[in-house]
Amino acid sequence: MLEKFKREWLTAPGTNIMAGIVVALALIPEAIAFSIIAGVDPMVGLYASFLIAVIISFVGGRPAMISAATGAIALLIVPLVNEYGVDYLLAATILMGIIQILFGVLKVGKLMKFIPNSVMIGFVNALAIMIFMSQIEHIFGISIDSYVYVIATLFIVYVFPKFIKKIPAPLIALVVLTGVYIIFGSNVGTVGDLGTIERSLPSFFIPDVPFTMETLMIILPYSLSMAIVGLVESLLTARIVDNATDTYSSKNKESRGQGIANFITGFFGGMGGCAMIGQSIINVRSGATTRLSTFTAGVFLMFLIIVLGDWVVQIPMPILAGIMVMVAIGTFDWDSFKYVAKAPRTDAFVMLITVIIVLFTHNLAIGVIVGVIFSALFFATKISKVDVYLEEMENTITLHFEGQIFFASIDTTIEKIDFKKYDKPIQLDFSKAHLWDDSAVDAIDTIVRKFEEKGNTVYIKQLNTDSRKIVKELSQLNEQHLT
Amino acid sequence: MYKSILLAADGSDNSIRAAKETLNFINEESEVTILNVIDPADSKDDVLHSGASESIINKRKEKLSEIISVYESNDIPYLIHYEHGVPNETVVAFANKGQYQLVVLGNRGLNRLQEMVMGSVSHKVAKRSKIPVMIVK
Repeated sequence: MLEKFKREWLTAPGTNIMAGIVVALALIPEAIAFSIIAGVDPMVGLYASFLIAVIISFVGGRPAMISAATGAIALLIVPLVNEYGVDYLLAATILMGIIQILFGVLKVGKLMKFIPNSVMIGFVNALAIMIFMSQIEHIFGISIDSYVYVIATLFIVYVFPKFIKKIPAPLIALVVLTGVYIIFGSNVGTVGDLGTIERSLPSFFIPDVPFTMETLMIILPYSLSMAIVGLVESLLTARIVDNATDTYSSKNKESRGQGIANFITGFFGGMGGCAMIGQSIINVRSGATTRLSTFTAGVFLMFLIIVLGDWVVQIPMPILAGIMVMVAIGTFDWDSFKYVAKAPRTDAFVMLITVIIVLFTHNLAIGVIVGVIFSALFFATKISKVDVYLEEMENTITLHFEGQIFFASIDTTIEKIDFKKYDKPIQLDFSKAHLWDDSAVDAIDTIVRKFEEKGNTVYIKQLNTDSRKIVKELSQLNEQHLT
Repeated sequence: MYKSILLAADGSDNSIRAAKETLNFINEESEVTILNVIDPADSKDDVLHSGASESIINKRKEKLSEIISVYESNDIPYLIHYEHGVPNETVVAFANKGQYQLVVLGNRGLNRLQEMVMGSVSHKVAKRSKIPVMIVK
């Protein structure tokens, strides 16, 4: 226990604190931009990022992973904030936390392996496209100055990393260009136009919503979507960090931890969040391995806001828009074009349908669910192909069955058989087939009965052990049919 | 003849060329350490496009297979090391802490786009390594 604590918190503290500071610097512009996407004050996203990062550093399952306010959640809650206001968002965040804790207790984390890569690729692509589209209103048709700031930001974030490694380029863009704006002024919107910054720590309060069934019915669909999307992105990120560090982490603990973090955050005026792929990679690349890095990221972010809060309202919007364009480009899976061309048709279809559903519904959760349903159907179709072929030998006729026999495949199996009177005994050979359920056993009963009705003698041979067991338990056939 | 050399390799054509080049100055009594650095930045692609961790590990081995066969067919003893980290820093750290007489690498790796943004690995290694460096074009 103590051993584990030391390893997860105290290994290479210097490197981990430095990594956490780098992440905090990179988090600030994103937390503000995601708040603006959601339509709330920047403080809602900044408090969320501070609280979620700090809480998850204690209760999360994946050391060195970064969780905070995210675009995926921000994009989900736009209609809720728009129609009902920020208090409903906080209530929805608390309920999101409860749902995620339940998911963790019920070990839903394990179900994640049923989300195929095709759906995951669709998820990140849809997320990237949505983030990009959310910025269009902050980039186009505002003023010439706006375009100049966006282009200058993109120039800095893509060219500066070549020369300056230690400081995240988005922060350089933010500081330098905000400085330019403060000195020279220009015709652009600022963060201050869209909300206020409070230079204080978050405090506990209960969201101001009526405690009625009606409220519950308003927030529940949002909370459920937020819980699902949060877990999908968090567990995907956990797998990426596992892979980047060659270590394993508990997915159920992570689900529960995400739930606890969101539950508490909702009571302190923060919006829901989840793990962040981009920030986690920045953290790991900076050498982070422990929970201390995540903790530092949260604390340092809050420290900076308290110290520098007055400057934050002066940040020109097009800088944040430029940074969001970079986030969108980084989130998109650029191997997708190759994937669409080369992956099996059904996988490519599932990836595209996931993206399309999200873009139509503006809801990543629905995209994931539809994607999973489609891939399950394709899988069932693929696996329910059973081959039946007839071999005539000297003394017998043998029907060979090949494939998985279960409820979805029995109809096509029976259709392939020509039930007529043969002049030799019939053997049903299941050596290359597997019987999965009682429907399969029923089907065999049916096949035998239909042959016997035509006056044939039928034997079943070469069932594998599992299949033989369910036939023994469920079949109405007697021993003499089995050889 | 060199006794102990370090080959930084990512499986790209350049790194295979670098492996073949080393045959000019090593023999059966030399030992080659093949270092493959796994950049966390590539993890997203790895996970999205291969899924199970087993298949990711297999993919890494597969990438180095041509280099391994260069040494196997010439009876040269070799070791393989996988390290996680930022490629240029990791190669430099590895080269400086071991007892290698030479570090060899190709002048360009697999990811051209990344090099355009971040600068080339070979350039940085050449600048910061404390042992002799050979860059194979």
